[in-house]
Amino acid sequence: MSLQVSGLGWGHSQPGGGWRQLFSNFELSCPSGQFLVVIGSNGSGKSTLLNLVAGTLRAQQGRIELEGRALEQQPDHRRARWIGRVMQNPLDGTAPGLTIAENLRLAERRRRSPFGWRGLLGLHPSAGDRRRYRALLENLGLPLADRIDTPVGQLSGGQRQTISLVMATLGEPQLLLLDEHTAALDPKAEATVMALTDRLVRELGSTALMVTHNLDQALGHGDRLVMLQDGQLLGDWAGPERQALTVSYLRSLYGSAKVPPTES
Amino acid sequence: MLSLWLGAFDQGLAYAGLALGVYLTLRVLNFADITVDGSFALGGGSAAMLISNGVAPSLALLAAVILGGLAGCVTALIHTRLGVNDLFAGILTTTGLYSITLRLMGRSNIPLTDLNLGLGPLPDFGTGSDGDWGFALTLVVAGLIGLLALLLSTDLGLALRALGNNPTMARANGISGRTGLTLGIAAGNALVALAGALVGLYQGFADVTMGIGSLILGLGAVIVGESVLRPRTIPMALLAVVLGSILFRLMIAVALQLGLEPVDLKLVTALLLLAALALGRLRLPGVSDGGKSP
Repeated sequence: MSLQVSGLGWGHSQPGGGWRQLFSNFELSCPSGQFLVVIGSNGSGKSTLLNLVAGTLRAQQGRIELEGRALEQQPDHRRARWIGRVMQNPLDGTAPGLTIAENLRLAERRRRSPFGWRGLLGLHPSAGDRRRYRALLENLGLPLADRIDTPVGQLSGGQRQTISLVMATLGEPQLLLLDEHTAALDPKAEATVMALTDRLVRELGSTALMVTHNLDQALGHGDRLVMLQDGQLLGDWAGPERQALTVSYLRSLYGSAKVPPTES
Repeated sequence: MLSLWLGAFDQGLAYAGLALGVYLTLRVLNFADITVDGSFALGGGSAAMLISNGVAPSLALLAAVILGGLAGCVTALIHTRLGVNDLFAGILTTTGLYSITLRLMGRSNIPLTDLNLGLGPLPDFGTGSDGDWGFALTLVVAGLIGLLALLLSTDLGLALRALGNNPTMARANGISGRTGLTLGIAAGNALVALAGALVGLYQGFADVTMGIGSLILGLGAVIVGESVLRPRTIPMALLAVVLGSILFRLMIAVALQLGLEPVDLKLVTALLLLAALALGRLRLPGVSDGGKSP
């Protein structure tokens, strides 16, 4: 099992006072190489789950293991060695004042802390780095290959998200987290980013976890689909069961009872 | 008249470390660091104390750099470990540093006259000690610019820039905010303390209050330099900051020449900076973006 979430507990105090326990004893396991899509209504815990796995939020109970490595006590910058992440807001995933090549360089050497002595060796991105990144972007069919020395802040939202996605897949991550990463994009950019997502996930062979509100996207991508409701799994479909799902059926499940309806 | 220009040039160079330190913390790390006011006096005071006790000036400068770095570490630790916001962390350190500097100095003012700074071997420009100072300081500052430009182009420097530019992205790419801020703020304050020591040497005395308004001075240099050169690369930005430091000193020298009383100097400095800020905002709406992303 590549990603194993067991006994996960997490809650938060609410603005008006009181406590909301979102996850109690939550279990989820995802085999190596699986592309898991997570859907669910607002507040169902999708993004919280992703943040708990990424380390932006700390689990209060339970374990989160990736390839047998316990992650729950590690700060997020350490988890980043094994986890590539694309966030919803295209502005979050890249440093706007740094060039495309500089952003890619940071992502590529994510495994090692830049603050060791090795961080002082060599000037980067070097000519060799640049050549490699240009080839990478060309190979992915992205029209950004000749703009690698442009600050990312000058790119469009869709282009920035494309760069975030490429960055997330650099540095040999064992897990890819995609948090509604096309939600802020126009349909054309969304199609580009999703096609690239499918390709990169396949080429990388890593486990991937994608959260989305877009049901067409949920049915059109990935190997397995789970639906969250109030911090619990309302449904879990793979293989032929998943093939048989329809958008209207999924839509009918939103806001329904906690008990998963029987599937035909 | 030449001595006025040359004096301002020398002073600008002596203050260049301050401007570079403020550039590093404020522009690169996006951290408003008031520690600068304390570490400037700490550098000046400690170097003066050591030199007046017979320590070689070069060793005294080194000691000032180390103490400044430690002061920066304290602020960074208060901020990153205790979660105190950047301004308060800096004010806490600066307040404490006042006593520490005074303790180190033993009195509030140490004169440094009749010094042999080892400037003898320098070529003679026929401009007297101002020319010698100018030459020596140019070498020091050029070295600092070169060193910083190289450092900011390594993976470590890239990580520091990313941290200031987008902390969320930095963490998602394995960059520890704690370590990065601590390194960067320590380095910034080391530069500032070096400037404090050089200014003390240049003006011939160190005073425990010499740090007041340093952040504003440094910021003024950064803003003036950036609006003149509009740098697009890191080396250019560093050069701009040093140029700004010299121009800022020149403005002050001119103001003094025009009959400004030294008592009003801090007020005029603040007003000059305000003018630079207002001009920058009115003329270049994108200056803060362009400045942060050289």
